Amino acid sequence: MKADKAERVDAQVNEFDQAMKPVSLWADAWRRLKKNKMAFAGLYIVTFYIVVSMLAPILPIYSYEDQVIAHTNLPPSLRPAGEVMIETRVAYMRKVLKAEARSSFNEKEEAEIAAMKADVAVNPDHKRVYVLGTDNLGRDMLSRTLYGGRISIMIGLVGTITATLVGILLGSIAGYAGGRVDNFIMRFVDILYGLPYMLIVIIMMAVFGKNILNLFVAIALVSWLTLARVVRGQVISLKNAEFVEAARSMGASPARIVFRHLTPNTLGVIVVFATLLVPDFIMSESFLSFLGLGVSAPLASWGSLVSEGANTMELYPWQLLVPAIAMTLFLFAMNFLGDGLRDALDPQSKNRL
Amino acid sequence: MRKSLVGLVVAASLATLFFASCGQKGGSGANMIFNNGGEPQSLDPALTSGVPEARLTYSLFEGLVVNDPQTSKAVPAIAESWTVSADQKTYTFKLRNAKFSDGTKITAQDFVDSWLRVLDPKTAAPYAYIIGDSVEGAGAFNAGKGSAADVKIKAVNAGTFEVTFVGPLPYAIDMLTHNAFVVTPKHAIDKFGADWVKPANFVGSGPFMLKDWKPQDKIVVVKNPKYWDAKNVKLSSLTYLAIEDGNVAYDKFKAGEIDWLADDSVPPAKIDEIKLRPDYQVTAGSSIYYYIFNVTKKPFTDVKVRKALSMSIDRKAIVEQVLKAGDIASAGFVPAMAGFTTTKGNEYNLDEAKKLLAEAGYPNGKGFPKVTLIYNTNARHKVIAEFVQDQWKKNLGISVQLQNLEWATFLDTRQKTHEFQVTRAGWLADYLDPGNYLDMFKTGSGNNDGLYSNPKYDELLAKASSLPAGDERNKTLEAAEQILITDDQAISPFFFYANKSLVDLTKWSGVYSNAMDIHPTKWIAKK
Amino acid sequence: MTRYIVRRFLSLIPTMFLIIVFAFAIEHLAPGGPFSSEKKLPPEILANVLAKYHLDESLPKQFLRYMGDMLRGDLGPSFRYKDFTVNQLIGQALPASMLLGGLALIVAVVLGLGVGVIAALKQNSWIDYATMSLAVIGISVPLFVIGPVIKLVLALQLKWLPTSGWIDGRNGWIVLIMPVITLSFPYFASIARLSRASVLEVLRADYIRTARAKGLTEATVVFKHVLKGALLPVISYLGPAFAGIITGTVVVETIFTIPGMGRFYIQAATNRDYTLIMGDVIVFSLILVVMNFVVDVVYGFLDPRISYK
Repeated sequence: MKADKAERVDAQVNEFDQAMKPVSLWADAWRRLKKNKMAFAGLYIVTFYIVVSMLAPILPIYSYEDQVIAHTNLPPSLRPAGEVMIETRVAYMRKVLKAEARSSFNEKEEAEIAAMKADVAVNPDHKRVYVLGTDNLGRDMLSRTLYGGRISIMIGLVGTITATLVGILLGSIAGYAGGRVDNFIMRFVDILYGLPYMLIVIIMMAVFGKNILNLFVAIALVSWLTLARVVRGQVISLKNAEFVEAARSMGASPARIVFRHLTPNTLGVIVVFATLLVPDFIMSESFLSFLGLGVSAPLASWGSLVSEGANTMELYPWQLLVPAIAMTLFLFAMNFLGDGLRDALDPQSKNRL
Repeated sequence: MRKSLVGLVVAASLATLFFASCGQKGGSGANMIFNNGGEPQSLDPALTSGVPEARLTYSLFEGLVVNDPQTSKAVPAIAESWTVSADQKTYTFKLRNAKFSDGTKITAQDFVDSWLRVLDPKTAAPYAYIIGDSVEGAGAFNAGKGSAADVKIKAVNAGTFEVTFVGPLPYAIDMLTHNAFVVTPKHAIDKFGADWVKPANFVGSGPFMLKDWKPQDKIVVVKNPKYWDAKNVKLSSLTYLAIEDGNVAYDKFKAGEIDWLADDSVPPAKIDEIKLRPDYQVTAGSSIYYYIFNVTKKPFTDVKVRKALSMSIDRKAIVEQVLKAGDIASAGFVPAMAGFTTTKGNEYNLDEAKKLLAEAGYPNGKGFPKVTLIYNTNARHKVIAEFVQDQWKKNLGISVQLQNLEWATFLDTRQKTHEFQVTRAGWLADYLDPGNYLDMFKTGSGNNDGLYSNPKYDELLAKASSLPAGDERNKTLEAAEQILITDDQAISPFFFYANKSLVDLTKWSGVYSNAMDIHPTKWIAKK
Repeated sequence: MTRYIVRRFLSLIPTMFLIIVFAFAIEHLAPGGPFSSEKKLPPEILANVLAKYHLDESLPKQFLRYMGDMLRGDLGPSFRYKDFTVNQLIGQALPASMLLGGLALIVAVVLGLGVGVIAALKQNSWIDYATMSLAVIGISVPLFVIGPVIKLVLALQLKWLPTSGWIDGRNGWIVLIMPVITLSFPYFASIARLSRASVLEVLRADYIRTARAKGLTEATVVFKHVLKGALLPVISYLGPAFAGIITGTVVVETIFTIPGMGRFYIQAATNRDYTLIMGDVIVFSLILVVMNFVVDVVYGFLDPRISYK
């Protein structure tokens, strides 16, 4: 760590006499991103998630909606479902025995076990393997989580991109222009914050019905508000900095100053803030599902899987852990990628690595 | 910034301390903690309509009769006894010597005032119709078309109350257990206005009286020493918590912070664990879960389609493998009652279902139009809808779209615009009578959401309403149910709810599971 | 500066007015009404109820009536909780939410800023990775998972705390522990990530380099210069966050049965309790616009480079 610090100080000193190579911003950023191991791992994971999500329909997995009602709430296992089912059901019957203070199964229970065994022998359904267990209707958690990821990742990314674009645009205009424009945009933001979002969504739902576009509009509607305020604050604090004055005195247009000089300098905070938004959007979707605007059952999203799993976490922990870990891993990757991007895109560190 | 924050927190803490110190403890003796499942809309019995309110009314107010905690049948309360006229329309009640919690004597005039208050259009009582539909002259007064003087209730003398019903209502006495009929203190209402139900002003007629009320947190009631049967009231106080989420309530129960969870607080998702508990009680209930077909929307205009869809649902699998909570599968709609047998309805029969669907013009589901099934957002409704969707797909080759809606939008769609094809519904009668289940499917009835209409059905119900209790009436109603369910399949019943509860019966007595899920608190005691 | 503050303050009035107008329109546009229920009210009875609450009047008339009452400080009777006025309900619920939210925010700000600054100063060290991983967990695991897990461990397994409930003599203040931890976690995480990014940015700024070059000690540089600049984005974020956290969070209030504003807000919206919705919107918006105003003013003090035209 000490060496690290020394190096940085060193770099700062050396900055002045380094030869500037004419590299494009993006090529340069890519070069630096590749050197950041965590960020690169994040990039791999995110890419993996996106590829798997896109390929979900052709992957050799069960359907996300196929119910085998005999296979409800089976734990993850590599063995055929029939075996796991018998084991799970018999284990539960033992608990019933204990609760009723009996020592052996009664006839009805014996018959039930025998029937189960007979069915396992003939019914090909029982050869299915649920690597990540099943849910309360005997559906494959792996497949449900995978399909859930498709919708959640899409919402996370689309939401973040719209939020970032709109937030940067309106935030920087407000911050740079100041005065009446600033007041107008920011009071508009205040009003959108203040209105009862839940009812707005209910009305949108009643008027436009349920469709994916409506869902994105509902997500995008309020997504950019805080980001716009953050960007505005950053722009205000930078707009009188020396390098902006310099650009201004050289006759740069306001648009150029804002988008070539100011915005890139606030990118660090923006990228981090944008990655903070991803989980928000994924969870917003489950709130919108509650209002009827999200995905339709039997399709699920990460948000709805996690919220349903949370209710049964003591009984069937995998129903929570599978989607929760899938989601958290993705968000981890997004965050490290975000950090890496921030470093890579930082104009001040341009010549440092 | 931080300074202002600290200031706020200090202010808030002081406020909370103040509130906390306001709440005092009840007297000595047993206190029972019950989860009421939500914040009541009101403690004024005239203004309530829901279950949490009804439960509080059982503690705070009493009427002429009250439900027996075991059977839910009416037993004498403030009325000691009663006589019925020859035409079975006029009931005369002899009142016992009972007092309000402030010591004022309860007279027949108090009953007249209480009922008229419920009926008064200015009170805007949601349940006014239960009096309006049954007492002569009451409906007109409530609708603003008649006068209070024409309502056929009267105080013959201080201890005798007389009421004339619109017909020989076989269920009259059971109906009188309802909240709308309890006696309320006119003198206190006149004095305090809307605030008469606040702890400081409260005057009641029930075994307990209001002590403390913190919205969204709890309501504490303590024993009413002036209650006529106070010597048989064993609890010194009862605490009603307002927890909506069953999982949260169940956690509290497990930790011993709640003594009693009623049906609506038992979380369905944890039923496998709950079933193993020794303090879990379950009994058959009389509320029904069913799907409504909108008979004015294609393809449900065709009775064959309705029957095919209904017959392709394995109801036994719903209750045994999906819900697993002891609910009772039924293709019939009205629960069995004394003298009344539930119709068998069109039970699970795949061959017949396929045949009917083919006859309707959709062999193996081919050409079946796009159909949407709506339900309000709720884990139980969702899992049932998903199962039914899967059944229709696997058994009939029909794809149905599921659409959940938020509560108010759902009700608006189902009750007002009727812009749906299939939807879920549930019904719990106000009092146990087959008519209370069947009346709503009369042509043009307010709760007839599927817009079903059959003159023959209407005729049978009209006939039944003029008949006194007995075999003929029951047979007529059975015939009506047969038309509604078996012949016309206007709706598709799935199951009768089991009434589930969690309470340690080795510790508490006077708590019973019953079909109506009605739990008067008067007889509860700690062992 | 003073002119800016005055003008900025005056702009709160039209903002609040527009929020009230729009919210009023929105709640009445939403399908369903305050008196729908599974068993539908007969039309005569519904007419009585609507008349009692003046809902049979035209919308503009209802709005004028509402505005008139509101300007006198009366938010009207709740349509759902019929024994209470909206003033009484909010008067009970707001202190609970403020106490919980205030404590959670203090924890989140203190820990979040501390962790964020340290992580930035020790960028790429183990402490940076560890705290930032914790922060990512905080923002990616939803409250409805964190809450029940904390409850499962502290209340149901270890039995150290009551599972839920609100302060009353018996339970005392310990009931606050779990909700405060749960509620502060995501805010802590966001503040930590944001302040780390922001400190990193400031560390590279020219004036910090100048300060360092002047030979000021690292501590002086950090406290006098870095922190001040780094606070800006955190404060921008805190304006709306403060309003949100102080007016209640429905998930935490549900899990720990706290009689706060968040539960009322969702219930009011679900029940179309028009007056309670308006009351919630007004309280929330008022706190929000005032906080955003304060934030804008604080900007000027925190960052000498800012000048408002």
